Amino acid sequence: MSRLRTSLGACLTALAAATLGCFPGSEIVHAAAADGTDEVLNYASPVELLFSPDGSRLYVLCQQSDEVRVLNATTYAPMKTIAVGHVPRGFSLSANGSRLFVANSWDDTVSVIDTQLLEVVATWPVRAEPSSVVEDRAGKYLFVADRISDDVAVLNAQTGAEVKRLLAGRGASYMTLAPDGSRLYVTHVYPNPGPHRTPPESEISVIDTARAEVVDRIPLHSIAGVFHVAISNDGRLGAAAELHPKNLVPLAHLEHGGAFADTLTLFGADVGKPVEIPLDELDRYAARPFGVAITPDKSRLYVTSGGSEIVTVIDVARLLRYIHTHRGPYAEDLSASANYVVTRIPTGRDPRGVALTQDGSRLLVANRLDDTVSVIDTRSNRVASTVALAGSKQLWALHFGDEMFAKIPDPSQGRTQCANCHLDERHRQGSKMDLTRPEQVSALRRGEQAFYTSRYSFQGQIGCANCHIDSTFDGLQWDLEPDGFARDIVDNRLLEDVKDTEPYKWNGGNPNLPTECGPRTEKYFWRSENYDDRTLADLTAYINSLPPRPNRWRMPDEAFTPAQERGKAIFERAVDKFGAPIPLANRCSYCHSGPKGTSQKSFDVGTKKPTDDSGMLDTPQLTNIALTAPYLHDGSARTLEEIWTIYNPGDKHGRTNDLIKDELNDLIEYLRTR
Amino acid sequence: MRLTCAALAAAAPVVLMLSPVCGLAQNAEREVPPDFIVTAAPAYVPLAELRGQERFPEGAQLLLVRAGKAEPLVTGFAASADANVSFDGQTVLFAGKRSAGDPWQIWELAFKDHAVRQVMVTTTDAESPLNLPGGRMVWAQRTPAGFQLQSGEDGQPTPTFLNPTAGPGMLPLAYTRASTFPADVLRDGRILFEAGFPLGKGSTPELYLVYADGSGVESVRCDHGRARWGGTQLASGDVVFTHGTSLARFTSAMAHDVPIEAPRGTYAGAIAETASGAWLVSARTATDARFAIKMWTPGSSGLDAVLARSGEDLVEPVLIAPRTRPNRHPSGLHPWDYANLLALDARVSRDGDVKGKPVSVRLEAQDATGRAIAMGTAPVEQDGSFFVKVPADRPIRFELLDFKGTVLRQEHGWFWARGGEQRICVGCHAGPERASENRVPAVLMRTTVPVDLTGVKVVAAVPGGN
Repeated sequence: MSRLRTSLGACLTALAAATLGCFPGSEIVHAAAADGTDEVLNYASPVELLFSPDGSRLYVLCQQSDEVRVLNATTYAPMKTIAVGHVPRGFSLSANGSRLFVANSWDDTVSVIDTQLLEVVATWPVRAEPSSVVEDRAGKYLFVADRISDDVAVLNAQTGAEVKRLLAGRGASYMTLAPDGSRLYVTHVYPNPGPHRTPPESEISVIDTARAEVVDRIPLHSIAGVFHVAISNDGRLGAAAELHPKNLVPLAHLEHGGAFADTLTLFGADVGKPVEIPLDELDRYAARPFGVAITPDKSRLYVTSGGSEIVTVIDVARLLRYIHTHRGPYAEDLSASANYVVTRIPTGRDPRGVALTQDGSRLLVANRLDDTVSVIDTRSNRVASTVALAGSKQLWALHFGDEMFAKIPDPSQGRTQCANCHLDERHRQGSKMDLTRPEQVSALRRGEQAFYTSRYSFQGQIGCANCHIDSTFDGLQWDLEPDGFARDIVDNRLLEDVKDTEPYKWNGGNPNLPTECGPRTEKYFWRSENYDDRTLADLTAYINSLPPRPNRWRMPDEAFTPAQERGKAIFERAVDKFGAPIPLANRCSYCHSGPKGTSQKSFDVGTKKPTDDSGMLDTPQLTNIALTAPYLHDGSARTLEEIWTIYNPGDKHGRTNDLIKDELNDLIEYLRTR
Repeated sequence: MRLTCAALAAAAPVVLMLSPVCGLAQNAEREVPPDFIVTAAPAYVPLAELRGQERFPEGAQLLLVRAGKAEPLVTGFAASADANVSFDGQTVLFAGKRSAGDPWQIWELAFKDHAVRQVMVTTTDAESPLNLPGGRMVWAQRTPAGFQLQSGEDGQPTPTFLNPTAGPGMLPLAYTRASTFPADVLRDGRILFEAGFPLGKGSTPELYLVYADGSGVESVRCDHGRARWGGTQLASGDVVFTHGTSLARFTSAMAHDVPIEAPRGTYAGAIAETASGAWLVSARTATDARFAIKMWTPGSSGLDAVLARSGEDLVEPVLIAPRTRPNRHPSGLHPWDYANLLALDARVSRDGDVKGKPVSVRLEAQDATGRAIAMGTAPVEQDGSFFVKVPADRPIRFELLDFKGTVLRQEHGWFWARGGEQRICVGCHAGPERASENRVPAVLMRTTVPVDLTGVKVVAAVPGGN
């Protein structure tokens, strides 16, 4: 995916800046896509938006092009494009607006941008997939939410030196500072560890920013996947966008919210005890809520839904009146939202972060998967205009390839350089590029759009990304219908690096991705007419393109630590500690063979439960295995260690009962490098 | 719309009155009605279909109204009715009789060349055909128990249905001893149909939904009350229907119907929504002797007369235009002759809390004569859950019992489960607005084997429906 990123990204930054423009009206027409899947997948993919304190600039965080784009906040004309780290996921301004901090999730850094110079002035290393970053009002601490280490790192805001770490929820990702700066609200995308087959539990971790301590954990019962939080200007109302899965109920059908509820948890003085309210209706859903904003006068609350591709508009006064006059719980009442939802506004594809102008007159929405920003007039609740962020990068890549891009010498001068190329006769003749349009849609992009939309499921309730959050997993176990109710409970598996690991499903029943994502998904997940063949091909191409995220347990030079070396030896050993030969099928490296740690064959490793129809299970790949707890086919092992200490009494899952705890730890240390 | 009365009379051998020429079309702002088809009948008996009777006892004729000119849609038919235009707007299905003594049969006309073909041959009346995705259709087939929803099996294109009723390729979609009559196909792929409430038992017209494989039957909404019939889904997703003699709608947000503030009048059956959002309705105002086609823009105060015929009622307006194709329903039915039903909490009901603690549930099924047969009981867990295996494709209902065997609550009517269906109910008559809680039902913590209430001697336990 990032094959051309270094040379291409900077060049395209300039090209995109040159081609960025504002579209009147709300309709965007996608140009016909080039066939094939070998194009460079390097779109802007805006995910978050920020206005400068004086309201003159709009900062757009572009996740796939690794940029912050700076626009004129009135005309949306491009001002500057700033290259940042890899896969930036969150950003925020310092209290005085002089610095813009960017959390670069795949290279574990924070970019510090001087907003006068509009340049990166520092890049600070952090740990474990930083996903958002917030400075306190005093400019003392910089808080960084780390998705993989499940914590919030507290850095010295001037030097970037780590001061301490605060435990947050699993998959800590998004943070919002209270208007008075005293509290920081942290959410997380994976449920906290809990007992098997019990409702998932999540939390909003509340940090006292002055003391840099967690002072509260607002429990979110039955929630798995919490995204943005918004706090009203008076600090009395908070709202968190979240997913409420129904993973413990057999997934027999979708109607009546059978798979997920899309909800908000409200908290703060206005509501007293936190309450969960639904966004869904009886026949229409607000799939995958993500971004939240509350108007300065607290009259309206806006929520984006990435799957449904809408913004839901909520009347806050009616909402508060409703929850104060009606007894809850509300989350299971699909008619509740009629009491507070004003309207639903269609947006672009996969709407994510939002930003309100200071006067609340405009709401901007980052449409990640069509590289646009919807500008919504909050008085009319209509999309007044759509800002296209991208140029025609893919065509450039297709027409010129690596070699051409490699010739572009200086990304910082990219605008001139790219403009020259852009006017090249060969290019104009060879492409159908139309600079008044958003960029062309590649097959992989179409596949990604199919992955993130909910439009293919019954009543638009769910999409792939409901259970594969950000194309990963959800930490949940599901009771799928075809095997019988409460039978063959299955843990959701990671999608990263899934290419060439067929067959799929824990029972190995699907020979390839088109089968997995096509008829099976149509019949037992979507319960509605599926994609056409071309979209299915695009979707599977996209899934096959998913790379593994960087492994945080490997040494920079790919060498092993002593513990990892010892663990590797255990993994590969042919003789146990007592000198007895280990049968081939009882060696870790036999079933978990190959570069991805799977022989792609099924084995009975003694983990069959009474509710399972068979003990023969597909060997899962080991890619980033450290991230994907719980383990085993049904998620019954909460940790890697439990696989052997609890669920391997007969050594059917590898010869491990001769090992002492330290040796198991070594084995785990090695597995974490996979 | 600029034709004179004389021209209209010449255009069709019937007394035809296009209201615009009679003083109502002078307003240049008025929307010109799009081309449509309407059923004209000397006698129209609303809701006769739910009694298994004839809606058009004196026959009917489909009229094609194109550019303001009305003429018979087809020739050579003693009767024609129930038009349903294909999704691409190229053809129209209808019910017709070549001779007055024939049963109603399903026909198809191509607009391109006006060729007419019989879609299938049945020995009894086949009425009200609706197009389904994938070349399928659903219609009402007359049976000894009244009309029943009938379709072709998935993968069986319509032209192959030249078989007797319920012959190869035919798929009954309703399994109740009362009339069920199709009204519309919703964009989510479900079939909207009329039947009496309580289902299989009552006589108050009500609207229900079922998937195109006959599974998932349920009321659209559970605020049962006045008659609801003749539903049509709008572009917004709302379903507009006749409520008694007025209009009302179901919206996605509401668990109850919402009255429509339409001009005073008596409305009948389905409406048609134009591209501009105006509605063609069949209505009879105080000055009308008969139902006529009128146009109404929601929110406006008056009905604009479009088409009326002396001595005939005009009903069931259908636009001649392409429309959004509903989603095809991918049937997930297993190859079984029974169904599995899981109730998450039988105590949950719109009717209020159950008085007393239910400890068991009794299943009743109707036999071929309609007699209720007790099929057995199954335990109800502490959390109100139960899991049962039930006979498929026949009317069934549940009763909650206390420890003495006293009936605490009984279902209002009868419903069915298709063979191979596995279905979850949140509660007993919980209403479609009630979503499930996320918890493992206690019954599934205890067992994955449903209690067999099929009445078939169990040879061996069948785990979890496999």
